[in-house]
Amino acid sequence: MKDVYIKTEHLSYQYEESNFPVLRDLSVEIGKGEFVAVLGHNGSGKSTFAKLLNMILTPSSGKILVAGKDITDDSMTDEDILALRKTMGMVFQNPDNQLVATIVEDDVAFGPENLGIPSEEIRRRVDTALAEVGMLEYAKHEPHRLSGGQKQRVAIAGIMAMQPQCIIFDESTAMLDPVGRKEVMDSIIRLNREKEITIIMITHYMEEAACADRILVLNDGSILMDGTPSEIFEQEDALRVCGLNVPQCTELIHRLRHQGIELKGDCVSVEQCAELLIESLNKEEKNG
Amino acid sequence: MAEIKLENVTYYHGKDTPYEIKALDRINVTIPHGMVTGLIGHTGSGKSTLVQMLNGILRPDEGSVLIDGTDIWEKPKRIRDIRFRVGLAMQYPEYQLFEETVAKDIAFGPKNMGLSELEIEERVKEAASFAGLEPQLLEKSPFDLSGGQKRRAAIAGIIAMRPEVLVLDEPAAGLDPKGREDIFSNILEYHQASRNTVVIVSHSMEDMAKYCDHLIVMNEGAVWMQGDRDYIFSRSDQLTRIGLDIPQITKLMLKLKAHGLDVDGGVYTVEQAIEHVLKLYKK
Repeated sequence: MKDVYIKTEHLSYQYEESNFPVLRDLSVEIGKGEFVAVLGHNGSGKSTFAKLLNMILTPSSGKILVAGKDITDDSMTDEDILALRKTMGMVFQNPDNQLVATIVEDDVAFGPENLGIPSEEIRRRVDTALAEVGMLEYAKHEPHRLSGGQKQRVAIAGIMAMQPQCIIFDESTAMLDPVGRKEVMDSIIRLNREKEITIIMITHYMEEAACADRILVLNDGSILMDGTPSEIFEQEDALRVCGLNVPQCTELIHRLRHQGIELKGDCVSVEQCAELLIESLNKEEKNG
Repeated sequence: MAEIKLENVTYYHGKDTPYEIKALDRINVTIPHGMVTGLIGHTGSGKSTLVQMLNGILRPDEGSVLIDGTDIWEKPKRIRDIRFRVGLAMQYPEYQLFEETVAKDIAFGPKNMGLSELEIEERVKEAASFAGLEPQLLEKSPFDLSGGQKRRAAIAGIIAMRPEVLVLDEPAAGLDPKGREDIFSNILEYHQASRNTVVIVSHSMEDMAKYCDHLIVMNEGAVWMQGDRDYIFSRSDQLTRIGLDIPQITKLMLKLKAHGLDVDGGVYTVEQAIEHVLKLYKK
């Protein structure tokens, strides 16, 4: 694995009004530049996990280390917390709750302005950030007139302008239509590949999770599975037991294998599944 | 049982202002009675405007909305009656819960209809069971429910009015895969038991393919295509051309077809795909 960026040790969290912990003894390491998808049924503790990483919540017990620094330590000052949020941005679910300014570029500038960065530098960062999410031509637009996918991309640009190491997406595509979802997913993948931003993406869409390097499956507050998309989606029955499923193409390949058809290889994307089927049919033709 | 028909319906947002936009352009559609109809289209296609025409929240600028042949705007003062006949569950309906208990929330609609206590009680129980809410949840505060349960409570509130047509805007948005499946199977059970007309608006083509008999595709304020599900998905390549998603399994079949394999590009469920692919192996 690459250098460890986030490390949690025996992390637990219990909401005050609740009788049982929503996260239990969770220990995990996330590498620098990794793209990790987090899956789990409603109430499995995914969002709590994200809020702990960003210090919106403080753990009931256990530790979180970010770039080697213990962020759960009592000696963390307000400045330390601010510095953490600067390096670890978060994009939420509702595109209408995250934008504050009346013009797109002002919204993107909001974060760096609060950091007291000189104005030429802000200008440069805003333009770069908007270009990175493909929204530069909308710099002078009013946010409320944008589509959901565009609004989420402006929210991402606002975080990019703070020059973060890591971005956490908490079901950021859940309220978008397919076009908006694709726009946001493309941006996430690009930031990870080109800018080496560490990505933690919580989602209910299996096809989105299939784009990640690694998937964590949370169930009742602990990690049930941890592996590559291929390794995770291989365990279709176990996923279904905890309220999840697999992409349709993966399901098809699994069911064909059950029928005795030999299909060897990864099958998490449409492309991979098409390749498997074509290869296997060609073989069949030669032998038959 | 009711059939809804829109005849030449045109509607403008901000009519007679400088911001006037034509949201619906001469719409002619039939929502057949006793079926599950799906309404598809990307954001801004006019879907939500059309939905609000169905129970008289919006009034057409031109054309008419007919339920079983009668214009719903014949007597504008009686439009409230239409809202009881066509029940609309908006997107994220759980934000509209407000009563002290779940039971009271579900009873709100029937109460407004002026029904007796006894009748209301019976309807609350029936609606809760259709929506898949366990009886012990009825006395809880709606705010103590989980996300999925809140959604069910809100839908039960509409079902309790026993509408002839049930319209659901993104009933499964934000739910996990099992939650989605559960809520759709509850809706189908309700449909099969009541034989009522159901309209579902959703972005998920995989869900539409699984649960709807009849589909209406909107694009730029007009009806772009309508028909039964086989007909619509046999035109999957055209759906992608107007920026709509198609089920992942359909994408795979189109890819295999483009590669010269003898499969049907109109396949839209995993079951159909298995059948088609197995045939290739037997050849």
